[in-house]
Amino acid sequence: MTKAKNVRHHVVIGSGVAGSQAAETLRDREPDARVTILTLSSLLFYNRYDLPKVFRGHRDWREFLAYPADYYRDRRIDVRRCSRVAGVDGSRRTITLEHKEEIRFDTLLVASGGRGYIPEELAEFRPLMHPFASYTEAVTAANVVPDRGHVIMLGGDMIGLDLARTLVDTRHRVTLVAGPQTFWPHEVAEDERPGLIAALENMGVEVVEAADAGGIASIEQGAKGLSARRVLFKDGTELYGDAVMPFFGLSPSVEFMLGSGTDIERGLLVNPALRTTGEGIYAAGDVCQIWSDADKRYRFFYGWKNVRAMGDLAARNITGGDDPWVPVQDEKLHIDDQGKLQSPFWEYE
Amino acid sequence: MATDIQISIVGSAGDGTIAAGEILRNALAGMGYKVISFDVYPPEIRGFGKCIARMRITTEQAYSLKHKSDVLVSLDDSHAIPHANEVRDCGAVIYEQGSIVRLPEGGHMSAHVGPGQLPYPVPIRELSEKSTGANRSRNIVVLGFIAGLFNLPVEGFRKAIGKKFRSKAAAAEASEAAFKAGLDYAAKTFKLDDVVFGPPVSSVVAGATVEMINGNAAIVRGALDAGIDTFFGYPITPATSIMERLAAEMPRRGGRLLQTEDEISAISAVIGAGFAGARAATSTSGPGLSLMAEMLGMGVIGEVPAVLFVSQRGGPSTGMPTKTEQSDLHMAVYGGHGDAPRIVIAPTNVDGCYRCAGKAFEMAEAYQTPVIVLIDLYLSNRYETVVFPARPPFEADMNRKPGKQAAGTQYKRYALTADHVSPRTIPGDKGGMHVVTGLEHNELGRPNDSAELHTAMSRKRHEKLKAALRHPDFTHYKRFGDEGAVDVGLISWGSNFGECLEAMLKARAEGIRCAAMKVVMISPFPTHGVSAFLADCKEVLVPELNYEGQFANILQAHVARPVTRLSRVPGEPMKVEEILEEIRRLAGIKAAQKAA
Repeated sequence: MTKAKNVRHHVVIGSGVAGSQAAETLRDREPDARVTILTLSSLLFYNRYDLPKVFRGHRDWREFLAYPADYYRDRRIDVRRCSRVAGVDGSRRTITLEHKEEIRFDTLLVASGGRGYIPEELAEFRPLMHPFASYTEAVTAANVVPDRGHVIMLGGDMIGLDLARTLVDTRHRVTLVAGPQTFWPHEVAEDERPGLIAALENMGVEVVEAADAGGIASIEQGAKGLSARRVLFKDGTELYGDAVMPFFGLSPSVEFMLGSGTDIERGLLVNPALRTTGEGIYAAGDVCQIWSDADKRYRFFYGWKNVRAMGDLAARNITGGDDPWVPVQDEKLHIDDQGKLQSPFWEYE
Repeated sequence: MATDIQISIVGSAGDGTIAAGEILRNALAGMGYKVISFDVYPPEIRGFGKCIARMRITTEQAYSLKHKSDVLVSLDDSHAIPHANEVRDCGAVIYEQGSIVRLPEGGHMSAHVGPGQLPYPVPIRELSEKSTGANRSRNIVVLGFIAGLFNLPVEGFRKAIGKKFRSKAAAAEASEAAFKAGLDYAAKTFKLDDVVFGPPVSSVVAGATVEMINGNAAIVRGALDAGIDTFFGYPITPATSIMERLAAEMPRRGGRLLQTEDEISAISAVIGAGFAGARAATSTSGPGLSLMAEMLGMGVIGEVPAVLFVSQRGGPSTGMPTKTEQSDLHMAVYGGHGDAPRIVIAPTNVDGCYRCAGKAFEMAEAYQTPVIVLIDLYLSNRYETVVFPARPPFEADMNRKPGKQAAGTQYKRYALTADHVSPRTIPGDKGGMHVVTGLEHNELGRPNDSAELHTAMSRKRHEKLKAALRHPDFTHYKRFGDEGAVDVGLISWGSNFGECLEAMLKARAEGIRCAAMKVVMISPFPTHGVSAFLADCKEVLVPELNYEGQFANILQAHVARPVTRLSRVPGEPMKVEEILEEIRRLAGIKAAQKAA
C-alpha cells in the first residue's frame, strides 16, 4: 500500500477486464494519484475467457494471469485481493470492507461484474453444481470431470457455450439442457432459435430442451449407486453425467452499493459518461446499465471488448474527460459457413 | 524433491506465537525434516510486544535462516504487517479474515499482501471460538490450517500437540478440536502458493539419536554428558534456561545445583567446587560476566578448572535483554584485571554447543583454567535438528595427577614444567597439601611477588594454554568452500557463521571464488591456521554482530592483514543477503582492479 498526501485516491472495485483497464488508464492519466483495486479474487487479473483452457490441461494459475506481479509494482497499483466490500457511503466517500476496514476515496469506479445467476427453482441444488466463473471453480470442475467425461450444462449462456466448444474439442461429451437463458446475452428471436440449436448440435453438443421434459425436477448425487450426478426431469426422464454446470447468465454484483446514494435497478444506473447518481462514483462493465438515448432506456452491454472500453472510458472521465459511451463490439450471433455458431462475445485479446 | 521452506509466525505476546512455533518445529522434526528455528520475543511477559517464531525446514543441511520466508502467518496484524514484505513471490500469507474492531485504512493484512504473494484469509478467531468456545486456540487453528494446506501428516502434529500439553488435559482437548477446525478449513481452501514439502530424508547413523533442541538445551546435554557435578548460577536472559534445565536434570544424576544470590557468588562457588575436584560450571550473560570478572582472575591465578557458559545479548548495561549481539567478545577474552589469559571457545551452531560444552570441561581440567563457552541469544534460542552420537564423545577425567612424591620433598602445585601444566591434587589427596591464593605465588603456592617469579608464572599461565590449540577431537577452526586461492574469504565466529556460510555458498553459485572459515577457538587464537587461510584470500571479510568489529580486532592483533569489517547491531541475526552483497562488492572491486 502506498500513501501520499494531497493526491487523489481512485478506488476501483473489481479486478476484471473493466477494473484492470480502468486502473491502467487512471495510472497513465494521473501518474501521482493513488490507485487501488479491491477484489474478491485471490488472484491478480486473469481473463475469464481463458478458463476453458483448464480442460486442455492448463491448471497453473500463472498461465492465466494477464500481467505479472511486477506490472502492478511498477505502476504502483495496489491490488487488495480477498477483500469483500460490505458497503459504500457516497456522502462520506468511504468504503467499508467486510473486515471493518474503512477506505477513503476521492473517486470510485464500481466494476464488480456479475456472478453466475441460478434460477430460484434450482437454487437448492447449488451445492451439487460446478460453476465456472473463476479460476478456482474452473480447476475444481476440471478435476471432477474425467477424460472423455460427460458434462451436463444447464442454461447455456454464451460463456457456457464457449466452454462447450472446448469440451467437445477435447473429446468430452456435452449435453445442454436448454432453456430461456440459452444464448444469453444475445437476444434471440423465436424463429431463430431452432437454427441456432441445430448449429450447436452440428458442433457436437447434445441438446435437450428443458421445457420439453417439463423442466428439471431435481439434481442428485449418488443416485443408483453412482457417485456422479443425475438430473431428473419432471417427465421422469433423466440424465447422468460427471458434473452439472450452470450457465444462466450473469447477475450484477451490486448489493454492497445499497445505501450508497446511487440509483440501482438491476445494475447500477449510469449516464452515457458512466457516472452514477452518486458524486464521484462511476460504474463500468457487466455491473452497470447505461442510459441509451436511442433506446430511451437503461441497458447492459456485454462482451470483452465492450467491457474493456467501458473501463477505459470511465477512467478517462474520472480524470477530467466527458466522453459518452459508444459500443465497440457487434452483438450479432450468427452461423458460419461450416454451420457452426459464432458469437462476438467469444472474441477477446 | 528437496525441501527448503521457511515459515514465520508473528503475533503479540500472549497469542501463543512461540508455542505454535514450538509445536510446528517439533512436528516437522518428528517427520524427519531438518529444522533451524529462532524465536524473537519481547522482554515483557504478556499483553504487548512482538513475538516471532521463524523456522527453516529442509531436507539438505542448512546453516541459517533465509532472507525471505515462504510462509507468513499473522496472529496479530499490527505486528505482522511490517513483515509482509519478507515473504517471497508465490509464497503464502495466512492471516485473520475478520476483525472485531473498526480498522483504519491499512490496518488489515490484506492491504499489505504484495502482488506476487498469495493471500489466505482464514476466520481464525471464529474457528477457535466455534471449536473450543474461546479464542485462545487461534494459534492451534493456524497449525491445523498449515497441516491441511501443505498436506503434512496430521499424526506428527497430534504428537507434538500432545507433548506440549501433556500435563494439561483441558488444553490438550481444546487444542485437538482447534487443530481439526483449521485442518477442515484448509480442506475447503484452494491452494495457490507453490510451497511444497517433499518427502523427508533421513541420514541418521545407527545408534545415534536425532533431537530438535536449542543451543541452551544442547549446552545442558553436553554438560551432562561430560559429567558435570555441580552448577551454581543466577538467572539472566538469555542464559536462564541452561540453569532451569540443569535444575531438572542434575538431581536425577546425583549432581548438585544451587541458585546463588548473585553472579559473584556463583562464580566463587564454581571456583571453589573446581578446586575441590568437581566438574563445575555456571551460566550467565554479559552483565553477569561483568560481575564475575574478578573471580575469573582468581580462577586464572589459582589455576582452577571452571566452566562458564555465557550467552550474549544486546548491551551495554541492561541493553536489549531479548535481542542478540556478539558484543561481549572483548570482555570474554580480555575482561578483568591483570594478565589473565583464559580459554574462550565459541560454537557456531547447536551441534557445536553440545560439543563445546562437553569439551570445555575437558579443557578446564587439562589446562587448569577457566573456560568460557561464548554463545549468544540467537544460538541460545535457535533450534536445530541435532544428531547425537550413541556414546558421549567426552573424556571423563583429564586431570594431570602428580606422580609419587619423593621422600622429603614438598608437593609443588605450581611446578614449572616443560608444557607449563603442573600436576594437580585435590583436597584430600595424600601428600597433596598446598596453598592456593589470589596473590602471586611461587611453585608451592606461597605468596611471592619477585620479578622473576611473576614473569615465570605469567609465562606459565599464558604458555600452557597453547596446548589447547591441539586439544584432541575438537574443531578449533574449519575452512569451507573453494580450496586454494580465492577472491573473497569470509572469517567469522559464533552464531553468525551460519549466515556467512550460506552467503559464501550463494556467492560460489554466482561464480565468485569464495571460502569461509569459522573460528571456534578464539582464545588462545589459532594464528597459524588462520594465517594460512588469509594468505589464500585476496579480500577478507569479517561479518559479526557488534559495532566495533571485536573479532576483527582480535584477528588483526594476531595476523597483520587488512580486512573488511561488516559489523552490524540490529539485535537480530545478520541477513545473508547483506553479507552476499558485500562479497559481491569485494569481488567486484577485485575485478575492477584487474581490469585497470
